[in-house]
Amino acid sequence: MIATRQASLFQNYFSSNYSYNELLSEDGNLRTYWQTFFQSFAMLGIEELQDRRQAIHRFLKENGVTYNIYGDPLGLNRPWNLDVIPFLVGKQEWTTIEAGLIQRAELFNLILKDIYGPQQLIKKGLLPIELVYNHPGFLRQCSGIQLVGTHHLVLYSADIARSPDGKIWVLNDRTQAPSGSGYALENRMAMARILPEFFEGLKVKQLAPYFTDLRDALTEMMPQQNQPRIVILTPGPRNETYFEHSYLSSYLGYTLVQGDDLMVKDNYVWLKTVGGLERVDVILRRVDDNYCDPLELKEDSQLGVAGLLQAVRSGNVRIANPLGSGILENPGIMPFLPAIAKYYFNKPLILPNIASWWCGQPAELKYVLENISTLIIKKIYRDSNISTSVDGSLLSAKKIQELKEQIKTHPYLYVGQEKVAFSSTPSFSDKKVEPCNALFRSFLVSNRDSYTVMKGGLTRTANDSGNMVISNQLGGLSKDTWIINTDTEPEFTQQQSLKSAFGTMTQSQSLSQLQSQQLPVAIMPTYKSSLPSHTAENLFWVGRYAERFLGNARFQRTVMQSITEGNHLQSDNRHTEECMLMALTHYTFTYPGFIGESGKTKLGNPWKELSEMMFDTSKNGGLTYNFGLFSRSVNAVRDHWSADTWRVLRSMEELWVDAATTHLTHFKMVAMLDELITSMVAFIGLNRESISREQGWSLLNTGRKIEAGLLLVNMMRATLVNKHEEQVAYNLQEAVLRSNDSLVNYRYKYKVHLQLPLVLDLMLLDPNNPRSLIYQVVRIKNYLESMPNPQNVAMPEHIRLTTELYEQLKNADKDYLTTLDNTMATYENLDNFLADMYSYLVSIPNAISKTYFKHTQPQRQLFTAG
Amino acid sequence: MKYKIVHTTQYIYYEPISLCHNMARLVPRSTPAQTCTKSTVAIYPEPDVLNEFDDFFGNKVTYFAIQHEHKSLTVTVSSEIERTPIDLKQSIDTYGKVSWEDARMQLYQQRLEYIDARQYVPETEATKFESGITNYALKSFTPGRPIYQAVYDLMERIYKEFQFKPGFTTVATPIAEVMLLRKGVCQDFAHVGIACLRSVGLPARYVSGYIETLPPPGVEKLVGVDASHAWFSAFIPNIGWVDFDPTNNVIPAEQHITIGWGRDYFDITPLKGVILSSSPHRLSVSVDVRRMEKTADNLTT
Repeated sequence: MIATRQASLFQNYFSSNYSYNELLSEDGNLRTYWQTFFQSFAMLGIEELQDRRQAIHRFLKENGVTYNIYGDPLGLNRPWNLDVIPFLVGKQEWTTIEAGLIQRAELFNLILKDIYGPQQLIKKGLLPIELVYNHPGFLRQCSGIQLVGTHHLVLYSADIARSPDGKIWVLNDRTQAPSGSGYALENRMAMARILPEFFEGLKVKQLAPYFTDLRDALTEMMPQQNQPRIVILTPGPRNETYFEHSYLSSYLGYTLVQGDDLMVKDNYVWLKTVGGLERVDVILRRVDDNYCDPLELKEDSQLGVAGLLQAVRSGNVRIANPLGSGILENPGIMPFLPAIAKYYFNKPLILPNIASWWCGQPAELKYVLENISTLIIKKIYRDSNISTSVDGSLLSAKKIQELKEQIKTHPYLYVGQEKVAFSSTPSFSDKKVEPCNALFRSFLVSNRDSYTVMKGGLTRTANDSGNMVISNQLGGLSKDTWIINTDTEPEFTQQQSLKSAFGTMTQSQSLSQLQSQQLPVAIMPTYKSSLPSHTAENLFWVGRYAERFLGNARFQRTVMQSITEGNHLQSDNRHTEECMLMALTHYTFTYPGFIGESGKTKLGNPWKELSEMMFDTSKNGGLTYNFGLFSRSVNAVRDHWSADTWRVLRSMEELWVDAATTHLTHFKMVAMLDELITSMVAFIGLNRESISREQGWSLLNTGRKIEAGLLLVNMMRATLVNKHEEQVAYNLQEAVLRSNDSLVNYRYKYKVHLQLPLVLDLMLLDPNNPRSLIYQVVRIKNYLESMPNPQNVAMPEHIRLTTELYEQLKNADKDYLTTLDNTMATYENLDNFLADMYSYLVSIPNAISKTYFKHTQPQRQLFTAG
Repeated sequence: MKYKIVHTTQYIYYEPISLCHNMARLVPRSTPAQTCTKSTVAIYPEPDVLNEFDDFFGNKVTYFAIQHEHKSLTVTVSSEIERTPIDLKQSIDTYGKVSWEDARMQLYQQRLEYIDARQYVPETEATKFESGITNYALKSFTPGRPIYQAVYDLMERIYKEFQFKPGFTTVATPIAEVMLLRKGVCQDFAHVGIACLRSVGLPARYVSGYIETLPPPGVEKLVGVDASHAWFSAFIPNIGWVDFDPTNNVIPAEQHITIGWGRDYFDITPLKGVILSSSPHRLSVSVDVRRMEKTADNLTT
C-alpha cells in the first residue's frame, strides 16, 4: 500500500538524470532515515500534504515571516516559502561536516587575528598583500585594536553543498553578520506545528543549543559586566532580513536598535531611550562594517554611529562580529587555505574548497583567462548593487572579451572557480515529489574553547532543477534541515548526559514537549528595559495612523450610508449630500476631491471618487494610502505584536487584495468598511495585551488620542462651522454624531432634537463622553505625565501645552461658541476656538518628538578644504 | 633648520551644536628627515573627550568630542620641527638608474619593505586610472627609462601642463575632471602623480604637510599667509621613498615639512568631523610657517 503511494508520489523522480542521489546509500537502497520519513509522508496522502503545505504557508504568513526584496514590484514583506520535505543529513555525514566547519571557523579566526595584528601570514608569503589590502572589507582603521577572548570571530557561517559524487563543498564563507539563523528557527517551528507526524521515528537534533551558546558568547564578550546590555543593530525595516532581526531580538530578549538610536559619549556607546541614555556593552550587528561609523568609515552612512570605533578602541563596547571581519568574505582566500591550515594546524582541510584560482598571480591569471568559459568568475568582494559572480559558459564572445579586459586591468580583484554541480534532493510541489538543487547554510558560534555548530540550518533550493544560482533575492524555496541521529547509543559523554536527554527527539515526545524544547521561552533580560527612541516614535505613529485610518473609514462610511439611504428617506437630500462630500475631502485631505471646479462634476456622481479614496494606492489621504503608512509603522516595530494581532493585520491585508481583484457594489464597499473598522478596533484592543512595556503603551495611546482630537476638530471645522439651512445643518450634526458613535449617547443624555450647542457640549466638553475632545485631552495629559522626564525640567514643553489646552477646553462655553452674528455665514467664535485647538494639537507632537525621539536629529559631515 | 608652525582651523555654526566628533591629523610625525620636538593641540571650546593614537600608517591622530552646546569650534596646532633633509644624490646616482620596469619587478621579492611598499600600488577612489591617466604616465615612463628620471619627468610635466588655480576644485572633485581641465591645487596634482605611478604598477603615496613661503626681498612676512600643502612620494628599491612636489617642481628639501601620509588625501584628511545639525557652517583656516632662527640668505622658490 505504502509502496504504491510512494510510487505515485515519486513519479519520474528516479528517472531524472542525477548521478548522486541523496536518498540512496552506497548500496543503492533508500537510506533508512529517508525510508522512515517517506513512510510518514505517504501515510498523510497527497491531498492532506497539499493541505499541510497551505497550512505552512498560512502559519508563516500569520507569523509575519517575510523577507524584503530590493526593487521588487510586490514591495516589502515577501512571504517566506517553506517546503514540506526537510533536508535530511545522516549522522555519519554530519560528523564530518561539523568537524570541517569547526576547523574552518578556527582557521578564519586565526586569519582575522593575524590580518589585524602581526600579519605573519603576509610576511611569510602565505597570504598575498594584494588579496588582503585590495578588499574593501580590509579596514585599516581596525588594525591594532586590542580585542579580548580566544575567538575574535564570534559568528561564522558557511554555505555548503553536495556534489554529484557525494562530496561536501564549501561555496561561501560568511563572517560579517551572517543571516538566516532566525529563519532556520522559524522553519523548525512551522514544521513542528504543522507536520508533527514527520518527526515520528526519527531522532532529529534540536536547534536550541546553538542559541543558548550564542547568548553565552555575547554575554562573555564583556566579562567585566555582570549583566552586559546587549543590543541588535539593524539597518532598519527596509533591510531584506528585517524580519529576522526583529525575531531574534524578541527570541533572545535583546533590544533591537538602529544606528541613530545609539550615540557615542565619553568613549562609551549609549542607547537613546525615552527615559534618557543607557549604556550599551555588546552589539550584535546586522549592519555591514563599512557602514558602522560615519566618522572613520563610510562617511555618508546613515546606518552607523559616529565615534563607534573610538568606543571599540577604548574597550568600552564589543561588537559581534568585530568591525573588519568582512575581509574574510573573500573567495580569493580559498586557494591559500590549505597552506594556512598546514601552517597553523599542520593538518589538511577537512572540507575541501572548490578549486579556485586567484588572478593576482601570473600563472593563475593565465589559467583563468584561457579557461574562462568553463569557470565561474567571482570578484573577491560582494557588491550589493551588482552581481559579482558570473558563469563563463553563459557569456557571449563579446562579454567574455569584456570580462577578460576587466580581469587584466585589475587581476587581483578576480577569482576563477571550478563549476560544481549540486546533487539533488526531493522537494514537494504541485502534488509531486521532484528533485531540486539544494544549498545548505550552517551557523557557528564561539563557545570559548571551540565553536558550536547549529544542529540544523537553512537550506535553500533553486526554482528549477537545473539552476545553480540559489538566492533568496532571486526567489526560491527554503527547507528545514534535519540532522538525523541514527545511533542507538547515547551520543554524548557522561558529563553531557543531562544535555543529551534533551538532545534528540523521539516519537514518544508530544508536540508540546517538542515545541517547548525547540523554543525555550526567551529569557527576559533583567536589566531595565526601556524604549529605544526609534521604537518609541514608531509606536507613537502606529497609534496615530491606526486612529487616522479608523476616523477616515468611519466618516467615509457615514457619508456613503447617508448617500445611499438618505436619497430614499428624504425628498431632497442633494444639498446635504454635497456638503458631506466636500466635508469628507476636507477631513481626509484628499484634495482636490469634491472641492473646486473639478469637484463640482464629481458631486453629481461621487462613487468614482469615493472608490478611489478607498482603493487608489497613489491617492494621498486615501484609505489604501493610510493603511500603507500604518502598515509600515507596524512592521517597523514588529516584535511588539502578538500572534493574534498578526492574524488581524493579515486579514486586513487580505481584504485589500480581495477587493482589488473584484468589482465592488456600493453595498459591498460599505460592508468592506465595516470589516476594516472592526479589524482595526480589534487591533487596538489587542494592543492592550501585547504591548508589555508601559512607556510604549503610553506613547501609542498618546498618538491615538492626539490623532483622534485632530480628526474631531477637523470634522467639526468641515461640517459645523458654516451656517446651513435647518435640515442640512441637522443632517450634518447627525453625521458628526454618527461617525463618532455618539448618536445614542446624545439621545440618552439630552433627550431632545439635535441642537448645535448640545452637540458641541457632547463632542467637545463632556468629560464623560469617550469621544469628546476633552476626554482625549485628559488622556493625553495622563499618558504624558506618566512618561519619564529625561531632561529633568520642572514643566516639559509637551506637558505645558497639554495643560493649557485642557484649561481652555474646561473653560469653554457652548453658548458663546454658538453665538451667531447674523451678518456672518459662519460661527466665528467656534471657528476661532477650533483653530486654537488645532494648533495646540499640532504643537504637542513636535514637543514630544524633541523630548523623546532623539534619533531624529540630522547628522552632517564636517570637512576641511585641502 | 628649525620651524614653528601654527595651524588654526575654525568652524562657525549657524545654530548651536550639542555634539560633535572630530578627527584631526595635524600633529607632524617624526621621520628620518625631520624631528617634531613639540606639538600642542589647543581646542576651543574645551573638548569633553580627547584620545590620541597612531593610525595604520603611523600618523598621529587626535580624536576629540565636544558634548555640550557650542556655536564655534577652533583647533590650533602649534608644532616645532627640526628639519634635517637627507641628501639622496649619491644613492640616486647609484640606484636611481635602474629601469622602472626592473624596479617594478623587484617589488615582488619577499622583502618586508617591498611588501609594505606594495600596499601603495592599487588605485583608490581618488586616484582612479581613468581619462587617459595611463597614457599620460607612459609619456614619462618610456621603455627602459631609469626610474628616478621617469618620475622626475612626470613631476615636471604636471608642473608645466597643469595650471595652479585655487578655488577651482574641491576635495570631492574627481581626478577625471582634473585631467580634463588641467587645473587644480596641490592635492589634485599629488593625486595625478600618484595615479600615474600606480597606473604603471609603481607604489606612490600622498604626503600631507606644509611649505615655507617667503615674501619678496625687503617685505615683512605676514602671519597666516601660508597654507597646508601636499605632494607625492615614489618608492625606489634600495633608496626608499623619495618625495616629489609637482606644484613647485622641486624635490622637497628644507622648506617642506611633513605631517603624515597615506594612499590619498582621504587617509590623511587634516580635520574631519560629524555634527548633529542640519544647518550649514563656515570654515576658515590659517597657517603660519616661521623659521625659528635667522639664516644668512633667504631663498625664494
